[in-house]
Amino acid sequence: MHEHIQQRIQSIIQNVEQLPSLPDVVSKIINMVNDPDVSFKHVADEIAKDQAITANILKLCNSAYFSKGKEISSIDRAIVILGLKEVKDIVVIATTKSVLNKVIVGYDLARGELWKHGVAVAMLAKKIATECNQKAIADIAFTGGIIHDVGKTVLALFVQSTFKEILNTVTEKSITFQEAEKVVMGFDHQQIGEQVAIKWKFPKVLQSIVRYHHEPMNAPDDHKMIVSIVHIANTLCLMAGIGIGSDGLYHELNYDAIKLLSLKDSELEKLFADIPELMMKAKDIL
Amino acid sequence: MDNLLNIGVAQLAVAENPVIMRTILGSCVGICVYERNKKIGGMAHILLPKNPGNANPEKYADTAIPMLIQQMLKKGCKREFMTAKIAGGASMFKFKSTTTLANIGENNVEATRQALAKFSIPIVAEDIGGSAGRIIDFFLEDGRLKVKASGDEKIYYKV
Ligand SMILES: [Fe+2]
Ligand SMILES: [Fe+2]
Repeated sequence: MHEHIQQRIQSIIQNVEQLPSLPDVVSKIINMVNDPDVSFKHVADEIAKDQAITANILKLCNSAYFSKGKEISSIDRAIVILGLKEVKDIVVIATTKSVLNKVIVGYDLARGELWKHGVAVAMLAKKIATECNQKAIADIAFTGGIIHDVGKTVLALFVQSTFKEILNTVTEKSITFQEAEKVVMGFDHQQIGEQVAIKWKFPKVLQSIVRYHHEPMNAPDDHKMIVSIVHIANTLCLMAGIGIGSDGLYHELNYDAIKLLSLKDSELEKLFADIPELMMKAKDIL
Repeated sequence: MDNLLNIGVAQLAVAENPVIMRTILGSCVGICVYERNKKIGGMAHILLPKNPGNANPEKYADTAIPMLIQQMLKKGCKREFMTAKIAGGASMFKFKSTTTLANIGENNVEATRQALAKFSIPIVAEDIGGSAGRIIDFFLEDGRLKVKASGDEKIYYKV
């Protein structure tokens, strides 16, 4: 292990300013949506405070993926037509793009690839949740999908300088890339991502998704289901090559996650086969 | 690169010199067919081996490859001057082997071989299997294929 790298990562985590930032409105909206007594007006007012975000959100509301056919020209209307949870996810898309839509060196992801990956995993996770009778948490799966790899944006520079060593560790020890990240650098991208989610004041369930998306069975019991959903969506998107980087498929497809969701082979294959159509629908989000 | 043409998952296209066709692969297979006389090339990015019926033909090896070759023939390509290079077909590093998902990469490669054999198009180079993701660039200038995987680059020149 490279102790100087571990120390540098440690100091980044401690000086939270060095982690990516997000406007406060995002965590406010996420927490409001979880509050059963919240008023529509309150949420709309909170969003409307930020004009730049508002314009962007309205554009997204009318995109092929979110639109319900009716033109939406105000946040109030958006909440009425699309619902609070959907508007919350649109707020997440509008605000996290600048964090994720970057060149990710080390992982060899060109500009836009990590963003596309997040959006793809989000859409597929939402679809899996809906089809596995977990509709109530489908929106959380979506948000989690968007941000699950956010740790890569911070870890990338260190991966770049140690890449060969990480890959050698993968083959020599027969462990996954993310496990090898920890062996070589002292941290993996899940742990850094969790720190980002904490900085952003995101709820525990989203922290769990980011922290355990490659090892769903290590998530807290009450989050195992949703982490498994994002885990499977992530695996399928990587297999389809969407946002696949230098870490490739050097990951695990966790069988217990498939069992937990009672997904049949044919259903998994169908989800995989549907990815191109899902990506077509997302064109104007990317 | 102005000449860069990105091919998405379950898409195919035919183009000519000096275009460079690019795609990014996991378990999918990228099929690059080159007609050396006309310097015309076609690329297909298939997701699964067999079309269950009338699903999107570009998604499956057994329907995308005939479609690709038809499009090339229509542009005046001659079958005897065509060769193929294939890449991709990776699989997850760790999995329980009983899931069909685990074998998709391998099955894609197998179906690709069969479909190309039907048209008697020889595979002159392949970069397949393992667990690496691959970015491939197909240069229609001379038919060479650059494969970037796990931080390394290889170039296959044979046409
Ligand atoms: Fe990840
Ligand atoms: Fe991922």
